[in-house]
Amino acid sequence: MTNKFKAKISRRDLIKTTALTAAGATLAPFMGPWKYNRVWAADKPILIGLTHDASGQFANSGQAEKRGTIMAIDEANANGGVLGRKIEYIWADTETTPATGSRVAERLITRDEVAFMVGAIQSGVANAISQVCQKYGCVYFNTNSSSPTESGKNCHRVKFVWDGSGANFARAAASGAVTKFGKNWILLTNDYVWGHNTSKATQEILESLGGSVADNILVPVGTRDYSSILLKLQQAKPDVVATAVGGDDYKALRQQVQELQLDTKMAWLSNQLDWPDIYGAGAEAAFGVFAATWYHYLDLPGVDDFVKRYQERWPDTRMNVPGNVTYNGYVAMRELLRAIEEAGTTNNIKVIKTLEGRVMKADDRMQHHDAWIDENSHHVQQTIYLATRQDQPRDDSDYFKILQTMDPKEVANPGESACNLESYDDTPTYEM
Amino acid sequence: MDFLYNLLPHLVNGIALGLLFALIALGFMLIIGVMEVINLAHGSLFALGAYIALVIITPEGGLAMPFLENWFGIAIVPRYVAALILAPFVVAFVGMGLEFCLRRTYGKDPLYGLLLTFGAALVIEEAIRVIWGHGEYVLPIPKEIRGGFIHADLIWSTYRVYAAIFSIAMIGLLWLFIEKTPYGAIIKAGAHDSEMVRALGINLPKLRTLVFGFGTALAAIAGIIMAPIWGIRPQVGVDAVVPAFVVIVLGGIGSFWGAVIAGLMVGMVVGLTAAFFSDWSLLSMYLLLLAVVTFRARGLLGKASALEN
Repeated sequence: MTNKFKAKISRRDLIKTTALTAAGATLAPFMGPWKYNRVWAADKPILIGLTHDASGQFANSGQAEKRGTIMAIDEANANGGVLGRKIEYIWADTETTPATGSRVAERLITRDEVAFMVGAIQSGVANAISQVCQKYGCVYFNTNSSSPTESGKNCHRVKFVWDGSGANFARAAASGAVTKFGKNWILLTNDYVWGHNTSKATQEILESLGGSVADNILVPVGTRDYSSILLKLQQAKPDVVATAVGGDDYKALRQQVQELQLDTKMAWLSNQLDWPDIYGAGAEAAFGVFAATWYHYLDLPGVDDFVKRYQERWPDTRMNVPGNVTYNGYVAMRELLRAIEEAGTTNNIKVIKTLEGRVMKADDRMQHHDAWIDENSHHVQQTIYLATRQDQPRDDSDYFKILQTMDPKEVANPGESACNLESYDDTPTYEM
Repeated sequence: MDFLYNLLPHLVNGIALGLLFALIALGFMLIIGVMEVINLAHGSLFALGAYIALVIITPEGGLAMPFLENWFGIAIVPRYVAALILAPFVVAFVGMGLEFCLRRTYGKDPLYGLLLTFGAALVIEEAIRVIWGHGEYVLPIPKEIRGGFIHADLIWSTYRVYAAIFSIAMIGLLWLFIEKTPYGAIIKAGAHDSEMVRALGINLPKLRTLVFGFGTALAAIAGIIMAPIWGIRPQVGVDAVVPAFVVIVLGGIGSFWGAVIAGLMVGMVVGLTAAFFSDWSLLSMYLLLLAVVTFRARGLLGKASALEN
């Protein structure tokens, strides 16, 4: 028995065991206990998932938005990061497709373990992403999709909506148009969630003002030829054509309206005109009356500096001035990073509570009125600008003439009462 | 009577639209008919044609080319005509390069060729994004074909009339080339009996390269013609390849007049549904396809093809 025991512990084994014990004792402080791991985690970068389209109907807008979010991240990192941690991002193309949005969100959370998610242009994609985010508890910023349902029936506790909604824009534009042009309207509606809900909001407002909708022409997503629709409009002779058509569909519509010079023959009301949908087409393409949340020629503090910083950061981009889409991406990301810093943690519930009801000063946001995040719908209530084509452009980038500045309270959407946020208890805790 | 009065402009518009669909499908038809290759890169080459025309016509074409400064000083009409001639040539060379890659798939399952051209479509579209970016471009056109004119109390697009006439001319020229010239005869013979053509001493690989180049040049021409209507953006090719495919299958693979008739039918159906049931306008072309293929599996004027083997 003794001999057997002796045979098992050779000199080589003894040396090996001693060496391993010594190594273990030396490394132990670095491997644990738990509190040391927490210290290590605090130095770990905060990873943010960017969900911006690079293909499909809103590819151009998605990339414009991405430039804004990355700018805000770069600036935060240049100022020492957030909570002493560097901000990193991982970007995925959501392809303007809701199914891709879901898949990307699932992957960013489960495989890449992002702490937060930011980005959306199309409402269907935003809705799909936010459902996945709510399932895990990951805070998600819908930066640019403006269907009223995003802050209405499709709202979520983890989701914050940064763009003005179609209902806000319709409120801003409709009353003036009824007075100026007439009460007989035709709606052109992109046949998906944003188009339907935006036109619905327009119709409600129009009818409340005594107007009526003669026809609601549905425009399937991917429509490139509007010749039949434009003939029909000419035959119907409405007072106003109110469009809720976006992305590439809008670009084709605009081009064909101009081709026929119908922009001067009837009154056009575009719910919102995104800068990437118009940039490069010239001021003459910005016909009709439309709404926007921001413009690079607003005479406000910080605007020129923001434009300059954008141009320095993106010297090679063809869109050489930022528009509303880039702006929304930028301010949304900047506010998220500030909220994390103020919350002192990346814990989702604490960050959400920091954001709810948050007031953002007009000067800081480069808008005319203070904005705030409605705590019941998570929708940013902000200044809406009514604009039309610039007839005296200051330079090649000056397309819009601002007609009116609307206070957020004037354009607030009562339909957001349909939002029923999940309770904090029903929202999983999420912290990376 | 009022209904007929309202319907007439839509019928005219449907014919014009149909001619444009036929134009888009011509190159696709030529390649699939003669070479029995489903060229899914047709749409990307269509887009490439529009981009190259843009570079030729305007200094705002996304590529800095200071050596062309004097060129941009001349009137737009010669620049536009030059673009209509030169851009298809450039695209034809790209097409010939693609055909070179396709050679190893000849005689094999058509799926190989289809996959290769699908890959090429992705590569070309991505290359366009890298070179010209994601943004939108507008192709400048001469003022003579811009704007509208009033007829029967309606404003009609001058450019659409031009595009429809151009399409008729292209269809006619292609038909004359294929049916009335010895080159067309060789191309057709190469499609029907390649062994015999080779036995007659004709260089078949060279013939195929030229046909593929010709087909892609037609795609580029369609891209240039459609650019002022659809706009120019990297993914515009997708908008072209789907109707082209529908037109070819509907008309019967390889049938010249089948493609023309199918183009007109698709244009008419899309135009009328857009006017009266707009939410069905995109779906209508697929319903038409379904209806025809249910009763005529090879399309309107289709004959047996190697793709069926």
